Amino acid sequence: MSKDSGFLRPPGARSEKEFLVRCLQCGQCAQVCIFDCIHMQTGFNPFIAGTPIINPLDAPCHLCMRCSAICPSDALHDIPIENVKMGFAKLDRELCYTWKGQIICRSCFERCPLKGMAIELERGEYPVITDKCAGCGVCEHVCSQGAIKTIPTRFVE
Amino acid sequence: MCRRTLQIFVALVFILIPWLNSRHISFVYGNFLSFNLAGFPLADPLAVLQITIKNAYLSFDLITGALVALAIAFFLGTVFCSWICPFGLLSDLGQTISRSVMPKVKNTKDMKSNEFKIKIVIFLTGLAGFLTFSTTPVLNQFSMPAWYSRIFQFIFTQNHFSLAIAFILFVLMVEFFSKKMLWCRYVCPQSVLLILFKQLNPGRLKVDFKTDNCFHPKKGQEPCTNACNLGLDPKHLASGLETECTNCGDCIVACSRYGQALNYKFKR
Repeated sequence: MSKDSGFLRPPGARSEKEFLVRCLQCGQCAQVCIFDCIHMQTGFNPFIAGTPIINPLDAPCHLCMRCSAICPSDALHDIPIENVKMGFAKLDRELCYTWKGQIICRSCFERCPLKGMAIELERGEYPVITDKCAGCGVCEHVCSQGAIKTIPTRFVE
Repeated sequence: MCRRTLQIFVALVFILIPWLNSRHISFVYGNFLSFNLAGFPLADPLAVLQITIKNAYLSFDLITGALVALAIAFFLGTVFCSWICPFGLLSDLGQTISRSVMPKVKNTKDMKSNEFKIKIVIFLTGLAGFLTFSTTPVLNQFSMPAWYSRIFQFIFTQNHFSLAIAFILFVLMVEFFSKKMLWCRYVCPQSVLLILFKQLNPGRLKVDFKTDNCFHPKKGQEPCTNACNLGLDPKHLASGLETECTNCGDCIVACSRYGQALNYKFKR
């Protein structure tokens, strides 16, 4: 599995096929991203070189939606952040500090851009990821135990 | 002089833009496929055509961007190639340097009128391949100015040095030794669209030759033919090779010392 294969697409992208059919490979999304999370895919695969990817472990998306606002071909649709489906996060309770009963961490809950909606705290302490998760990857990025993995939408299509 | 200045300016602008973007200054952003200056869009017409065909979709940004490029071609011919394209600049410089370092012995006019067909074949093959097999606008990967601008996007926003640098240098080196602008003449599919669009306007800008003003004494090493980096004979452009002429104006400048027989004209 190559380094880039688990990447996310920027917010506003729908299915992978629909995205690729519209992406101009212009890099404008990468250039307006204020969190420096969108990168253009390197290499020479003629179908995907130059298309935007996000690796949440390097820099996650914070759902500011500037990229989808400026995308000239609407490969990234300008949608409200509740409708974003970059992927979904899965929490491994075997690795999570709180679920293991060690300490009360809450990093993922505190940092989630859809705070209180995408991650809820069961009994006020135990993080549970709901179906409102946008798949932005902030939780994966901040989790010190690597307990969260963001699965890109296209892997489930 | 004017042309070289504009070419260098554009080439530098597309190095500056990703550098500014890496510092989160984004009133201007994009590359040669799609570009935005404070809200005003520019786009590669071939890229827009591919998106439109596959999606039956147009946006204001895409239409405006493509129409600006096509309108320039409609009125002025393929001046994009010789006045704006940064790969055109590098290729052109390669020819100029190559000719002064390794001068050609015989007459430099060498472009045959059927060579344009090679570019058409590549264009149509690429388009057919795109329509049949591809879900993405693959012809964008053939755009040399797009790769030029993308190289700097990679460098400044991702600290990545793309192998495309080596590829472009390799093409330039082959062009240097073969003394022909190979990519521009035989491959570039983006230019095919511009050429087809310029043909729609018979009254477009052209290089006009007046025999009465031609005072060059020596036949065979005419300054105008020597000046043409595309290997055209400016005195005989009407023979179908006018589609190849990018209105760079080098022949006009060269002739200015010999009677100014060559000039830009809007003519049929």
